[in-house]
Amino acid sequence: MKEKSDLHIVEYSVLLTLAFIISLLFYYFRYNHGVLIFLSGVSSFAYILWGLIHHALEGRLTKFIAAEYVVFGVLIFLLLYTVLNF
Amino acid sequence: MSVLTGKKKSNIIKDWRQQPKSIEKFQFIHHFLPHPEEKTRATLLSNRAIIVYCAAMLLIAGIFRFLPKVVPGVLGYASDISVKDLLTYTNAKRKESGLSELRLNSALTSAAYQKAEDMFKDQYWAHISPDGTEPWDFILGQNYDYIYAGENLAKNFKSSKDVVEAWMKSPSHKENLLSSNYDEIGFAVVNGVMEGYETTLVVQFFGRPRNAAQVASVYEEQTVLEKESTRTAAVSEREKEPATEGTSEAVQKPVYTQAPSEKPAIDVTTATKTVSAVFGGFVGTLLALDVWYSRRKGLHKFTGHTVAHLGILILVVASIWFVLAPGIVL
Repeated sequence: MKEKSDLHIVEYSVLLTLAFIISLLFYYFRYNHGVLIFLSGVSSFAYILWGLIHHALEGRLTKFIAAEYVVFGVLIFLLLYTVLNF
Repeated sequence: MSVLTGKKKSNIIKDWRQQPKSIEKFQFIHHFLPHPEEKTRATLLSNRAIIVYCAAMLLIAGIFRFLPKVVPGVLGYASDISVKDLLTYTNAKRKESGLSELRLNSALTSAAYQKAEDMFKDQYWAHISPDGTEPWDFILGQNYDYIYAGENLAKNFKSSKDVVEAWMKSPSHKENLLSSNYDEIGFAVVNGVMEGYETTLVVQFFGRPRNAAQVASVYEEQTVLEKESTRTAAVSEREKEPATEGTSEAVQKPVYTQAPSEKPAIDVTTATKTVSAVFGGFVGTLLALDVWYSRRKGLHKFTGHTVAHLGILILVVASIWFVLAPGIVL
C-alpha cells in the first residue's frame, strides 16, 4: 500500500515538474506565437502520455481511460490554439 | 388528491432503487454530477461531451477566420500605441544597455509611414513588398543617405510597451534595437484593415546618416513629435465627426488612418480569450463538482484522475488569461 502511495507521489511530482517547466517556457516565449503553438502541442502530448503511463503502472489502463486522456489532451490544445491562432 | 402514506412512499423508493438505471436517465442533476451507480462522471463530462466541446471550439475558430472575409473590419485588434511611448521605451532599453539614445528623425518617420501605408495598400506583411520594394527604398526615397539602416515591424499589439518587449524577446529585432551602429530612428503607427482584420501596424526604421552633422537635433525631434500629436488629434477629430452622406468621404472609406482609430466592433483577442475561458471554465467547474461530490459520497469511479485534469485545466485557463498576449513581430 505504501509502495503504491510512493509511486503516486513520484508520478504526480513528474506531472507538477512538467507543468512548471512548460509554464516557464510559456512565459519566456509569450510573444512568439509559433513557439507557443508548438509548446501547446508538446504539453498536450506530454499530458496524454503521463495519463497513459500512470494508469498502466497502476494496472488499470482501459480503452475508456486512454480515450479520456486523449480527448482531454485535445481539449487543452484547442483551448490554447483558439487564442494563439489569432 | 391522494396523499402517500409513509409505507407506500418507502415502497416506491425501494422500487426505484431496484431499477437505478431507468431512473438515472431522468435525473437531470447527473448531467452535472457523477453517476453513483454507473461509477462514471457527469454526462456533460463524458468523452462524447468533451468531443462536442472540441468541435464547438473548432467551429468558433473557423467563424473568426471566415467572418473577416465576408465582413472586413468587424473583427480586429484594439490598441493604444503611440510614437512617443515607442521612442521612450526604445531609448529606455538602450540606456539600460549603456547605449546612446536615438533621435527621432523626420525623414525616417516619413519613410516608416510610407512603408506602413504600402503594406495596407498592397495587403502584405513582409520586409520586402510583393513588387520587390525593399525597406531601404522607402528610406532612400526620403533622401536619407545612410551608412547603416534597419527595420523592425510589429502588428496586432495592444500597447507600446508590449511592442518593445516583443522586439526585445526576438534576437534579430533586439540586435537592431540595441545596435551602436544607429544614431536615429523613425516610427509609424498606422491603423487599417489587413486581411479583413482591423489592426495597427508599427514600423520602426533605424539609421546612421552618412554625414554625421545631419543627425537630428533636439529641436527636430520635438517638431516630429508635435507633428505626430497634431496628426493623431486630427485623425481623432475626423473620426468623431459624422460623415455627410453623398460626400466623397462618406462613399470612400480610407484603407488606413494614422492612430488613433475606431476600435473594431469585436476585439478578436478578447473574443478568443473569452471563448477559451468559457469552455475551460465550464469543464473545470464540472470537474471541481465531480471531486467534491465523489469525496462527499465516497465514490470510486472507473475513470482517469479528475484532480490531474482539473489542475492542468486551471493552469491552461490562467495562462490564456494572464500570459498570452496578442501581437506578431517581423
